[in-house]
Amino acid sequence: MYGSASTHDIPTQAATGLENEDPILLAEFEARIARGEKIEPTDWMPQLYRKQLTRMIEQHAHSEIIGSLPEGTWITRAPGFRRKMAQMAKVQDEVGHAQLLYSAAETLGKTREQMLSDLVNGKSKYSNVFNYPTPTWADSNVISWLIDAGAIVNQMANAKGSYGPYCRALDRICAEEAFHLKYGHDAVVHMATGTPIQRKMMQEALNRWWPAIMTFFGPSDKMSVHTEILMRWKVKMATNDACRQQFLDMYVPKIWEIGLTLPDPNLRKNEDGVWEFSEPDWEDFKRVINGDGPCNAERIAVRRAAEENGAWVRRAMQQPQARYVRPLA
Amino acid sequence: MLFSFDPRISRLELPESAPPPPDKAALDQFPTYEVFHQRKENTAYVYVGPVHAPEADVAFLFGKEQFSRRFPCTGMWVVPTEAIRVTEYGDDQQSVYDRLPLLPADALTTADAAGLEAYDIFHLKKRGKAHTHVGQVQAASPEAALQAAKAAFGDQRPVVNVWVIRSADLLRSDDDDRDMWTTTPDKKYREAIAYKVQDRIDRFKQER
Ligand SMILES: [Fe+2]
Ligand SMILES: [Fe+2]
Ligand SMILES: [Fe+2]
Repeated sequence: MYGSASTHDIPTQAATGLENEDPILLAEFEARIARGEKIEPTDWMPQLYRKQLTRMIEQHAHSEIIGSLPEGTWITRAPGFRRKMAQMAKVQDEVGHAQLLYSAAETLGKTREQMLSDLVNGKSKYSNVFNYPTPTWADSNVISWLIDAGAIVNQMANAKGSYGPYCRALDRICAEEAFHLKYGHDAVVHMATGTPIQRKMMQEALNRWWPAIMTFFGPSDKMSVHTEILMRWKVKMATNDACRQQFLDMYVPKIWEIGLTLPDPNLRKNEDGVWEFSEPDWEDFKRVINGDGPCNAERIAVRRAAEENGAWVRRAMQQPQARYVRPLA
Repeated sequence: MLFSFDPRISRLELPESAPPPPDKAALDQFPTYEVFHQRKENTAYVYVGPVHAPEADVAFLFGKEQFSRRFPCTGMWVVPTEAIRVTEYGDDQQSVYDRLPLLPADALTTADAAGLEAYDIFHLKKRGKAHTHVGQVQAASPEAALQAAKAAFGDQRPVVNVWVIRSADLLRSDDDDRDMWTTTPDKKYREAIAYKVQDRIDRFKQER
């Protein structure tokens, strides 16, 4: 799920620091990217490139691991054995994505230990949509289908980016996501075309999630020097607005065709083929991403408990040389 | 106490808020191993990615879980990251073998057969793609192995980067254990193709 250069951050106007870089190395680096070649970990790269990519891949990894929590809680309560198996397989995939992405981020110099610490101490962020709850099975289905759909829009774009290890991880991730999307769509269609109660449950879940989905790709990019550089370096592959438009174009018709409605009276495609919609509440987005959402505390607490409960296993494994010794007397 | 919609989480009685824990210690997550897989019988082993593990056997288990869970696989190799001798990276279109400093000839030939060891050689053909196994050479050191690899495989191009691994450092799946890779086809629910939703949508549209 969920990679994007600015999905999880409010854009800032920080200095680029480019004036401190070696101009010859910088020109070679930019020429390589312009030729369509990927950057590999031991290549020279500007500080800004390293910093932005680390942050982006790390946040992507955190989003996978935290994103598996709301769906994970539904494994035991999923209706029927087959759905339990499929939900479990999907959640396992998401955790695997986190593993791949943490390793890709590590190639840039930040350790996995530090990333996991920064997740629980709040120094780094994850996709804000996971700070909302999944009170029903239908909410879990909305995540499986539409949050994954949004994630796939991001991931397909980022897979064409310039950093080799991230591309390798994303190729694998995208291949696995094909199942998530179909599985999620199947689950939503099943509910929406089922009994009146199932249908109502799905509609209500969609109504709850739609505002968060509309913020998924982040606020409109201010076309700053920063954004321009990151796009030239193929760190950021598409603007947030372009991703949102692509998502609406692909999925709103699929939502409408199964008779569901969306809770935004202004949502429509205009004559120019551009989707119009009510501006999401970015103040609320800021408030939630900064910690004051319905599930922020729960997500971090559960993640932290998992780390603490697994500590003895890691400690035990770090002593493979320990040998059995028979008591003397 | 933390309240959750998931009763099992409420039952954990987690505190509503707590001061952040101290940062993790170094190596809390173990060192890394690099994993190669074989997707089909009689094809070359290809690099798939790293895993964190306390030792090679565990790395193999993690690698199997991570990289063979969802896709066909007929064999797997793991190696400690530190055991890989990596060359410089060249441009796409070039061969890094062209840039190898020539060792004095006697450095390569004086070692008697007893001092030789097998080394496995992997080539990266294009930046952003994965290293692929090209073959084995006999040599007395990683540097000599690289020279031997140039003699044996140097006509292939492009070669953006070469990995040289002492064959003894690779932990390899055993041919006799081949049935450990056969579980994947049973789990159809993990394939996109198992979800045929269009019929249901069409029926729904007709009934409306
Ligand atoms: Fe994912
Ligand atoms: Fe997902
Ligand atoms: Fe997914």
